[in-house]
Amino acid sequence: MTDLLIVGQGFTGLFAAVLAAQRGARTTLIAAGRGGLSLSHGCIDVRRGGASPNDLRALPADHPYRIADPAGLPDALAAFHVISAKAGLVYRGALGEDLRLTTALGGIHTTCLAPESLARGRLEDTLPTTIGDIEGYRDFSAELAVRNLARAGIEVVRSVSLPLIGEAPRRDLYAHDLALRFDDPDWRTELARAWKPRLGGVRRLGVPAVLGLRHHPEAIDSLEERLDLRLFEIPTLPPTVPGLRLERALRQTALTAGVRLIEGARAVGLIDGRRGGRRVSGVVAQSAGGPRSYPSPAVLLATGGVLHGGLVARQNGRIQESVFDLPVTHPGARGLLTSESAFGSQPFAKLGLRLDRRMRPLSESGGPFFENLYAAGGVLAGSDRAIEGTRQGIDILTAHRAVECALGEGSA
Amino acid sequence: MSIGPGLTADLCLKCNICTSACPVAAVTDLFPGPKAVGPQEERFRHPRLPTPDHSVAWCSGCGVCSRVCPHGVAVTEINVRAKGELARREGISLRDQLIARPALLGRFGVRFAPLANAVLVNPIIRRGLEISLGISREAPLPAFSTSTLRRRQAAHVARVPAPVTHGEGQPVAYFHGCSAEYYEPWIGELAISVLEKLGCRVVLPPQGCCGLPLQSNGLFDAARRYARWNVQSLHPFVAAGMPIVGASTSCTLALKHEYQAILGLEGVTVSEVAAAVYDVFEFITLFKMDELERLRLSSIPIRALYHPPCQLKSHAIGTPAIEVLQMIPDLELIYSEAECCGVAGTYGLKSEKAQVARDVGGILFDQARDVSPDLILSDSETCRWWIEKHAGVKTLHPLQLLAQALDIP
Repeated sequence: MTDLLIVGQGFTGLFAAVLAAQRGARTTLIAAGRGGLSLSHGCIDVRRGGASPNDLRALPADHPYRIADPAGLPDALAAFHVISAKAGLVYRGALGEDLRLTTALGGIHTTCLAPESLARGRLEDTLPTTIGDIEGYRDFSAELAVRNLARAGIEVVRSVSLPLIGEAPRRDLYAHDLALRFDDPDWRTELARAWKPRLGGVRRLGVPAVLGLRHHPEAIDSLEERLDLRLFEIPTLPPTVPGLRLERALRQTALTAGVRLIEGARAVGLIDGRRGGRRVSGVVAQSAGGPRSYPSPAVLLATGGVLHGGLVARQNGRIQESVFDLPVTHPGARGLLTSESAFGSQPFAKLGLRLDRRMRPLSESGGPFFENLYAAGGVLAGSDRAIEGTRQGIDILTAHRAVECALGEGSA
Repeated sequence: MSIGPGLTADLCLKCNICTSACPVAAVTDLFPGPKAVGPQEERFRHPRLPTPDHSVAWCSGCGVCSRVCPHGVAVTEINVRAKGELARREGISLRDQLIARPALLGRFGVRFAPLANAVLVNPIIRRGLEISLGISREAPLPAFSTSTLRRRQAAHVARVPAPVTHGEGQPVAYFHGCSAEYYEPWIGELAISVLEKLGCRVVLPPQGCCGLPLQSNGLFDAARRYARWNVQSLHPFVAAGMPIVGASTSCTLALKHEYQAILGLEGVTVSEVAAAVYDVFEFITLFKMDELERLRLSSIPIRALYHPPCQLKSHAIGTPAIEVLQMIPDLELIYSEAECCGVAGTYGLKSEKAQVARDVGGILFDQARDVSPDLILSDSETCRWWIEKHAGVKTLHPLQLLAQALDIP
C-alpha cells in the first residue's frame, strides 16, 4: 500500500521521500540507480547574486522558483536544516547571506548553505589560512589552489604537503577511499602524529574533503584537537565525500522513516498507459524478472534533467521525458540545443516540463497532463541551474511544494 | 548469441558512483573498483588476446555496481564475464571446481551425512583443507542433511504439471535449490507450509542446481548445461500457468536474470521461465496479501536485524520480506546499513579472499554488536551461514519467522 510513489533518488527524490514519510504518508521510492547527489559539492546553492524573496520573485514566470512560489523557500530550507541536523550533518548559512568558499582549483564558490566542515573555510574569515594536500592523493593540489586564490586577490599563507601513513597504496586513491581511512580512530591518531611536524604555526588548515564518512564529526573534532588548529574541508572531484555524506544521511533517514526503496528498477511507464484517462494509477518498472506494477494514488517524478536521465535526447533531435513521454519544451532544431561556448549557458539545460501551480506537468493544451502526477527538481523547464547557481535550492523548494500538493495539503 | 552487456560500457560517464558504492573496493586497494575493471577495461579485452589485467578476480560479483549505476551500464555483468574468462584461461583450481558444485557435494554428503559432517567440523581437517585446497578454515561450511527435501516431501514431487483442478488452490511450482534439497530441508518444508497456508497447492518440479556457483567460478559451460536443463524442466509448468517460487534469492536471480544476461541463453522458453519466477516474499506481496491479512499473526516480541542479500537487491524489487514481516505484532525490525555481508556466494570460502570478505561484512557485524538484536534475518543461505558465524548472532531465513507467526510448527 502506497500513498505517494516517487521516481528517482537524487537530492529531490530523497528529500521528497523523507518529507512525505515524516508527514505520515506511506511512501515508495523507485530508482534506476543512485542519483547525482554525490556528484555535487554537498552545499545548497540557492541563487548566485541574489536569493532574497524579492530577487526570486523577479525571475521569469516560468522559472521553477516562480512556479513553486519562492515564499515557501524559508520553510523548505528549515525542513532541510532539521532533517540534516538530525542525521548528524550540521549545515551553516542563511537565506540571503552569501557564503564564499574555495573550490579545489582555488576558484570561488558562492553558496547559501554549506556543511559545517566546509563553512569553516569561508573566505570572509580573517584567520590566517594554510592549504594542505595529501601525498599520494592526485586529485587535489594545494599549490595550484593557493596560486589561483592569490590571482583572485585572496591571501593564503602557504601550501603544505601532508604525508599518508601505512603501506603505499597499490592503486590511485579516491576521496571516498581516504574518507574511509579517516573513519578509523587509531589511523587518525597515527596520522596526526605524522602531520604535526609539518604544521608549525598553522592556525587554520584547509584540506580536501576526506575527513571521514560514517564518523565524520568525530574525525574532524579529534584531528583539530590533536593538531591544535582549525580544520576546514574543500570539496574534490566527484563523487564528493560531502555529497556522499548527505546522500547516505537522507537514505538512512528515509529507510528509518519507513520509506519503501526499490533500487535498480527503471520506471518505464504508466500502469494504464494513456488509456487511464485523467489519472495515473501508478508506475510500471523493470525488475530482473520482468515488469512490475507499483500502484499509487499519486506519483511524483524526480528523475532529473538531460544529464541525469529524466530527459533523453534522441538522434532525430527530439528531447523526450524518459518515463511517461510527457511534453517537453524545445528550442526548435537540434543545433540549437548547445551554445558556442562550453562554459556558457546551454539552451538544453533550460528544457524540461512546464508545470501548473500545483506542480503538475502540463499537456500541450495547457491543462494538467494527469490530475495526480507531480514533478520536481531537474526535470523542470525554465532554469539553467549550473549557470544561475540555483540547483539545490530548486530541488529543495520544488520537492517541498510537490509533496504538499501531492498529499493534498498545499493551497492552490 | 546476443551482443551481451559489453556494449553498455559505452553508456559509462566515468562518474564513479559504482566505485564509491563497491563494498570490495572500500576494504582493499587490490581491487581498482568496478568502473576501472568494468566499463573502463572492457575495450582492452579481446577474445583472442591475453587478458590485460588480473585485478578483476577480486570482484565478488555482489551486483551493487549495476544496481547503483544511473546510466544503465551492466557493470557486474561485464565483470562477472571477464572474471569467468580470466579463470578459464588460467585454469580453474580443484577447490573452485569443488565449491562450484553444491549439488554434487550434496548428493555425496547426504549419503554419508554423519561422517561427512563430523569430518568437516574437525579443526585439523579444516586446517588441512586450507593448506591443500585453499578453503578458508574460518568459513562456515553447512552440515549435510541426512535426507533430501524431495525424499521427505515425495508427495509434492511432480514430474509433469498436473492438470489444474479447481478448488485446490493456486498451483505453484517451488524451486528449492541445493540448500533446501541437501542442507536445510526444513526451510523447504516451511516454504511449502507457508504457501499452502496462503491457499497454494505446491509441487516440486524436476530441477537441478541453478548453476550460479559454477558461473561465479568461471565454469560457464557447466553452468549453461544446468541452466538449459532447468529451463527445459520448468517450462512445462510455466506453460501450464504456474509461477515458479523460490526461497533462495540467488537461485531465483539466476533463473530471472543471469541465464540471459551472463550465460547468454536466448529464446522464448528462457524468457518465459524468467518472467514466471518470483522470490517467495515477492510472490506473497504481489498475490497473497489478502490471504495473509485474513490470517491471525502471532506476536513475536523480539528485535531483529534484517540484512537483504545482494542477490535479492539485484532482483530490483526492493525488500518484500520487510513488507511482510512488518505485519508481525511486536516485532522490532532494524534495517542493515551494509551493502554486502561479504561472502558473496563462494567468494568468502576462498582462503586468499577470506579476509577481504570479512572486512566487507565488518559494517554489518559492527551494527549487530551496536544494536544487539535477538536475531539476524537474511533471505540467502550462504549469507545466513556466513553472518551467523561472523556476527555470532543466530541468523534465520525470514520465512522461519513468518512461519512462527503463522503458528506453523
